[in-house]
Amino acid sequence: MAEIIVVTSGKGGVGKTTTSASIACGLARRGKRVAVVDFDIGLRNLDLIMGCERRVVYDFVNVIQGDCTLKQALIKDKRLETLYVLAASQTRDKDALSSEGVRRVLDELANDGFDYIICDSPAGIEKGAHLAMYFADRAVVVVNPEISSVRDSDRILGLLASKTQRAEQGQERVREHLLLTRYNPRRVTTGEMLSVDDVKEILGLDVIGVVPESPDVLSASNAGLPVIMNEDSDASRAYEDAVARLLGEEVPLRFTLDAKKGFFARMFGG
Amino acid sequence: MSTDLDFRDKRSTADARPAVVKLQYGQIGMMQLRIGTTDTGALLDELTGRVATAPKFFQRTPVCLDLGELERLPEIDEVRAVIDAVRRAGMVSIGLAGGSADIETLSTALNLPVLSAFRAANNPFPAVNPVATAPVQPAPPVAVMAATAEAPLAAMIHSQTVRSGQRIYARDRDLVITAGVGAGAEVMADGCVHIYGSLRGRAMAGVHGKLSARVFCQEFNAELVSIAGIFRVFETIPRELVGKPVQAWLDGEDLHFAPVGN
Repeated sequence: MAEIIVVTSGKGGVGKTTTSASIACGLARRGKRVAVVDFDIGLRNLDLIMGCERRVVYDFVNVIQGDCTLKQALIKDKRLETLYVLAASQTRDKDALSSEGVRRVLDELANDGFDYIICDSPAGIEKGAHLAMYFADRAVVVVNPEISSVRDSDRILGLLASKTQRAEQGQERVREHLLLTRYNPRRVTTGEMLSVDDVKEILGLDVIGVVPESPDVLSASNAGLPVIMNEDSDASRAYEDAVARLLGEEVPLRFTLDAKKGFFARMFGG
Repeated sequence: MSTDLDFRDKRSTADARPAVVKLQYGQIGMMQLRIGTTDTGALLDELTGRVATAPKFFQRTPVCLDLGELERLPEIDEVRAVIDAVRRAGMVSIGLAGGSADIETLSTALNLPVLSAFRAANNPFPAVNPVATAPVQPAPPVAVMAATAEAPLAAMIHSQTVRSGQRIYARDRDLVITAGVGAGAEVMADGCVHIYGSLRGRAMAGVHGKLSARVFCQEFNAELVSIAGIFRVFETIPRELVGKPVQAWLDGEDLHFAPVGN
């Protein structure tokens, strides 16, 4: 039975696509069959982050409109055997998505034996974001430790509780998980950023991961290699932990404390 | 002010075409502006003073104009001048609080709707039965509820966090929320509002004019609290109330706040 996980946030630029790509890779690395679907029609990015932008022939909208089969549109990842990408269309807009079409594609992916379908939501709360979350079983809400992002996430959590198929049909609630990204413990200490506990308290949810602010994220995007694949990076380890927690493992939180520089590091600028 | 989103494609599984028109009944909280004079200078002074206390809150806020406190029915031109003064203060008059035939005539001439619920809502002791209501006023709030509730309804209990953009309304009863109310969320009841969590959004008790309604919360961080239409916005919360268990009640026209419990 495939599990549909939407990665959403409301606010733009908080790291939804980076998170989608890393979670998809993390799950695939553990042997799960994973399809990651870009719902950001017209502003497609996932293919860039996944490093498969030159292999996009058919996209999500083509499949919905019957221009090609799902198999033709799924792009197999070069690094991980069990990972596939369904790119968004760059030349259309979000109106090209229909609820019925999305349902058909997700059903077909589930029937193809995928374990996880990761839906990378566009920013906002309009049609694209709505359809990305509508069929979800679980949601990863990506939030930056600042008030506007927290407010938008609160809004998204409200929609997850009311405007999804599970809510409308009175089924069990969508399971919600918070993922903090761009976390900078030093700025939390100085009071410029909300702490993990602040965000947990405001949103009333536990966090599934805290990804530290890291230059590795940008360089990973530029290289078309999801940051989780860069084993030397703290961001990678944090995503790896988040994937473990998503699978029900208990892992202690890391990268949330301001690592005081040692004497030598301070002296020599290390 | 209706904040609930309506995705156009919501029903598209059955019918892919978006509806041309969707006529829905919705409850909208709105401010009522009761004027005691048609002197536009005085009105403008008073209004701009009020607006300055919370400029964002009042910006383009719709108000319902209530002429009931005036000594005589104003002329059309006077009302026009008042509407203009209100507009210059940053608010928008979208209707007249009504009831009488004179108001109807005025509203037709001004091309504004009459919002009749307002007068009834703010007239909690109807003159129909003065014998029954007279002794009620000095009695403690609990007694008022017992005396006026004909068939008391059990409180509405909501156990999930009320998120930004959501609204919960308990009609003809109390509302009990066993979780938090997020910033930008609204909880309303015709009776009292009890929040066993943090209140960061708006809480409105006695929305149909029940003066004895109260708001209680476990952790006070509210944006706005209103009882029977009398409200206070918090751009800065008094330090002694921040994060505390607080109750709000009405004493005449004054909204009071105080820590509750220990």
